[in-house]
Amino acid sequence: MSKIENEPLVEVKDLRVEFDVRAGIVKAVDGLNLTIYRGKTLGVIGESGCGKSMTARAILNMIPKPGKITQGKIVYHRRISNNGHSQLDDIVELTELDPDGKIIREIRGGEIGMIFQEPMSSLTPVYTAGTHINEAVSLHHLTPVRKVGDQLAEQVMAHKAVSKEEAREIAINMLRRVGIPKPTERVDSYPHQLSGGQRQRVMIAIALSCEPDMLIADEPTTALDVSIEAQILDIMRELQESVNMAIMFITHNLGVIASMADEIVVMYMGKAVERAKVLDLFKNPKHPYTQALLKSIPHLGDKKKGQRLASITGMTPDPFNLPTGCVFHPRCPMFMPGKCDKIVPSWKQVDDDHWVSCLLYEEV
Amino acid sequence: MATVEQAQPIPTTPAKQKKVGQSYWSLVWWKFKRNRTALVGGILLITMYISFVFIPEFISPYSLEHTSDYAEAGPTRIHFIDAEGNFHAQPFVYGMEQKVDFKTRSRTYVEDTTKIFPLHFFVKGDRYKLFGLIPTDRHLFGVDQVANPEAIVLIMGADALGRDWFTRIMYGGRLSLMIGLIGQILTLFFGTVLGVMSGFYGGAVDQVIQRSTEFLSAFPEIPLFMALAAAIPTYWSQLTVYFMLTVILSFVRWGGLARQVRGLILSLREREYVLAAKSAGASDTRLMFRHLLPGTMSHVIVIATLAIPGMILAETALSWLGLGIRPPLTSWGTLLQDAATVRAIHNTPWELWTVPFILLAILAYNMLGDGLRDALDPYGAR
Repeated sequence: MSKIENEPLVEVKDLRVEFDVRAGIVKAVDGLNLTIYRGKTLGVIGESGCGKSMTARAILNMIPKPGKITQGKIVYHRRISNNGHSQLDDIVELTELDPDGKIIREIRGGEIGMIFQEPMSSLTPVYTAGTHINEAVSLHHLTPVRKVGDQLAEQVMAHKAVSKEEAREIAINMLRRVGIPKPTERVDSYPHQLSGGQRQRVMIAIALSCEPDMLIADEPTTALDVSIEAQILDIMRELQESVNMAIMFITHNLGVIASMADEIVVMYMGKAVERAKVLDLFKNPKHPYTQALLKSIPHLGDKKKGQRLASITGMTPDPFNLPTGCVFHPRCPMFMPGKCDKIVPSWKQVDDDHWVSCLLYEEV
Repeated sequence: MATVEQAQPIPTTPAKQKKVGQSYWSLVWWKFKRNRTALVGGILLITMYISFVFIPEFISPYSLEHTSDYAEAGPTRIHFIDAEGNFHAQPFVYGMEQKVDFKTRSRTYVEDTTKIFPLHFFVKGDRYKLFGLIPTDRHLFGVDQVANPEAIVLIMGADALGRDWFTRIMYGGRLSLMIGLIGQILTLFFGTVLGVMSGFYGGAVDQVIQRSTEFLSAFPEIPLFMALAAAIPTYWSQLTVYFMLTVILSFVRWGGLARQVRGLILSLREREYVLAAKSAGASDTRLMFRHLLPGTMSHVIVIATLAIPGMILAETALSWLGLGIRPPLTSWGTLLQDAATVRAIHNTPWELWTVPFILLAILAYNMLGDGLRDALDPYGAR
């Protein structure tokens, strides 16, 4: 099992995504390295605008205009399934694929599914849940149907060929798996007839209907209330176990990531600043940014009277005018003048599976 | 974790599976049918299309080619009480006698009260093929031409060749109403396809399409029509000319629709569901026509419905100017052209009967379009 556990699925190598806008060039992602292992959950945390979502979009080769991948590789270890047994490795360089081509469309949804932050608007309003699921399944050579069942059915039809009745069955089963009550009725519901939590479940059902090898969850619970959030996270964990799926979990919620991830990457201004196993990161954070983030979590009963919640001083820098050296240095409590503002820190291993990008751990 | 795979036994009676919530279209229908005006407009249009487009041969008492000796005769009066004051349960018309005033050379018709021709429903008359298939000679109403060859009923008078004007309006309606509908369908096709592509792809595609619509709309319409209509070779058959006219009308008019669709797509394409569909592996074509286009349909249907009258009027105007449909074919435009001289207005004012028909068709479309606009937004306040 250990061999399988550490089998890389997607490797992002030195990725840079740039946006060429009128005011200049913004590096949304700058030299990012990360690896997602088969069956594992990688958490990606960071402030808004630090490039988390762009990384996710880059993996699916869906960078919106005027953004471009200007450097780096995304290597995808594709498994081609033969008669139900996934065997045969094929290594695909995702950034080199035609973004509207056939191969990337097979991968999207079929092998790498994605769910979004806004369940309210992620379902096409004119199709039922069933239609959506069947679209996905049909797109990936499973066959199509129409409704929230349509939205699901659409997925099914898009990706594995089946009859209408089968597709409906698939849609109903998927809805049942994600814990939607009365799936036989809900399959014919339109998105406006579903609650936010139900819609997000439908989204998950769509993403999972083609049994992808990897699920990118881009802040999947941010828009939901806490009790629904817990349910959705449970569903994701459970389904991950049942199909041995990798998850890239993007969030800015440290509590959520602690319960979900195996490994965490902390991002700041398009760069990874620290990567570690989840326990290691929470117990022994190395980068001052990570330390500051963890300090800013409120702890029940820890608070002394009159004490304020810790926050990170300063503001995120202007993306057109990034600080020299380490981009975090203007806000860093451990700022070393003459060093941090001059030298760009490298990616350094400080412990087993613990990497950090900070001059405190470099000899300069 | 309790929520996952909760083995809920679901009562799956097939009947219960069917009706879940209300679909969009059932809501639309529910709202539409409460709007009296729109309902009247819709029923009027259906009636008009059935009678003018499908069965004008049956409804009109004569065939289009039927000429009579009663040139420029006014509308025939329909009587229930004869000259002696007797009541007839079956309405009848009198025979007509032509009198020519040799000074002014004008013709007048005098009723000959000795000749009584009863009116019948489903009377035998000129032969025709119903729907172009079923040969028959029954007409909705008329006088028995076989028994009384000189009898005639002209409920809206006759033109200078003695043709029944009501018959001509019926046949004219076929072309005019069809040109509106077919032309609008073509416009709808060009407008939505180009509009969706323009909005979805943006960039160069958008530029080309938008500049084309601007180019077309910058042209003064009438000279453009004249140029295009003049470009139709004269030796083409009437039907081809008719079809070309339809194409020309929609060619000039797709721009407005394309712009509106583009605008809607520009806002819709930023919605997350487009991104979600893309991430599920949907192709551009699928995104455009399955995920984006349906979102514009409620808007497009309304625009299209409200634009059909414009199409009908354009045909009428063009034909009136002699640029559209030319005389052997009959449309409301050519009928208006007949009625457009001072002489015609003086001698045969009943030829203006065409006008209320045009008004009625256009009014009905506007009533329907208005109702659709409200109904297609079933979640709206009104």
